[in-house]
Amino acid sequence: MRNVHVVGVGYTRIGEHWDESLTELMAEASLAAIEDAGVERVDGVYVASTFCEVTNNQAGISALIAEALGLRSVYGVRVEGGESSGMMALMEAYAAVASGLVDFALVVGGEKLSDLLPDEFNSVHSMTLPYDSMGFAGVTPASIAALLYRAYLERYEIPQEFIAQFPVLMHNNAEGISHAQFPFKVKLEDVLGSPEVAPPLRRLECFAPCDGAAAVIFASEDSQTKRSSGQTVRIGGISMKTDYVSPFDREDPLFMTSVALSVDEALLRSGISRGELDVLEVHDSYSIVAPLILESGGFSSRGESCPDLKMSKYALEGELPINTFGGLKARGHPLGATALYQVAEVYLQLTGRAGKRQIDGARAGAAISVSGFGTIAGTAVMLSGEGE
Amino acid sequence: MRFNFRPQSHWRFKRFRYRTEVLRCASCGTVNVTPRPVCRRCRSRNLLREELPERGRLVAFTVVKSPTEEHKELAPYIVGLVEFEDGTRVVTQITDSDPEELRTGMTVERVVRKITHDGDSGIIVYGFKFRPLVS
Ligand SMILES: [Zn+2]
Repeated sequence: MRNVHVVGVGYTRIGEHWDESLTELMAEASLAAIEDAGVERVDGVYVASTFCEVTNNQAGISALIAEALGLRSVYGVRVEGGESSGMMALMEAYAAVASGLVDFALVVGGEKLSDLLPDEFNSVHSMTLPYDSMGFAGVTPASIAALLYRAYLERYEIPQEFIAQFPVLMHNNAEGISHAQFPFKVKLEDVLGSPEVAPPLRRLECFAPCDGAAAVIFASEDSQTKRSSGQTVRIGGISMKTDYVSPFDREDPLFMTSVALSVDEALLRSGISRGELDVLEVHDSYSIVAPLILESGGFSSRGESCPDLKMSKYALEGELPINTFGGLKARGHPLGATALYQVAEVYLQLTGRAGKRQIDGARAGAAISVSGFGTIAGTAVMLSGEGE
Repeated sequence: MRFNFRPQSHWRFKRFRYRTEVLRCASCGTVNVTPRPVCRRCRSRNLLREELPERGRLVAFTVVKSPTEEHKELAPYIVGLVEFEDGTRVVTQITDSDPEELRTGMTVERVVRKITHDGDSGIIVYGFKFRPLVS
């Protein structure tokens, strides 16, 4: 297998883009990434979109994206894996570049959700649950989050304030970030005083529908790019796992085996340990999902992620900063694009381009992407190094 | 007509939706809710149809205040986690009650209720929900 490098990233602002189509957003992000990488050619186009059939009546989207980029006769594929579609596209592109099938892969994720009314968005989002046993009956992702939330509060005997600190941290990190959906702070009282979505879960504990696109360029180690001298970022390892689709069919609904296994395997492939990570991206679709991921991934002991958060372990100045640009809650969660944003942001950290959010001396980072409540999880570990 | 309300795709799931009929694995005992050829846990093909008990225990519940398009006319409605004697758990609507009346651990029973309908001319979709046991 060849080593796979990240050589460029690009993304749009996350929010409502009334005047731009899904194709335009993805093309913009892609062109920015191609320019950032300084590559002459792209021979594989990997498109992640979770809901383009529903939101844009579009199938076969990879050819549209290629054409919009002025590319013809390339390999183009669209990948869908629920909320972790972006990580899945990265994994497919990684495999292709590592194997020698493709030299330069463009991985782009995009989603266009702001055209939907709130209840339409809920219908679409509910497709990430098993429809025949849950979605059909009016069970929503937020209601599953609420049931897990209650179970967590009960098991560890903590107040809601502990969990509600996660969105507060996300908004802190997103403050002033130009590509973030919500680039401002919120107070704990604001979170706890926001309307109930599915009690105990409140509005400011949930990601919000949005539009956005992000792209990453992978190149094999021996491919020449303008960045082939100087600092490089290598994919140390990437791993994805599925699990039973209902968390309540698992041994412990509060433990995501898919996260645990993908983190272990990605670290093993990278040859590093958890303690060597300088920065981490986690999938905080709902406030309660962040602690479940941190504990399942082995970054906090069971029941300890909220105390760890309180002790600033996960803050920008802490031992393992998470979601340095605001995560799903505040940077935004344009489903298929989200893992691309995560990986792009880790790349910015590892190349010293993270601006005000720069973690000094960051050399290793990871992104964890999840669909639903651990139905699918993927982890990408990235390592910085010096080029030849 | 919305695609997900095609009568045939609804009728296909009648055993589960109307009768909570599931597939119990004769080899390992796991209950597999929706139709499939092998057990999710041990891959045995020896799956036996079985109706879940009419009564279960309410483990946790919430209220859906931000519903989907097809369920909005009933919102806000209660969604609960119901556990049966053998440990099988289903997430389902809790009906015929207000959240204030509910407490975790209480016994609930299965009833058939309207789930949604497809406009004025499409099908009316029914399915099971649970309600506090009328003693
Ligand atoms: Zn079995």
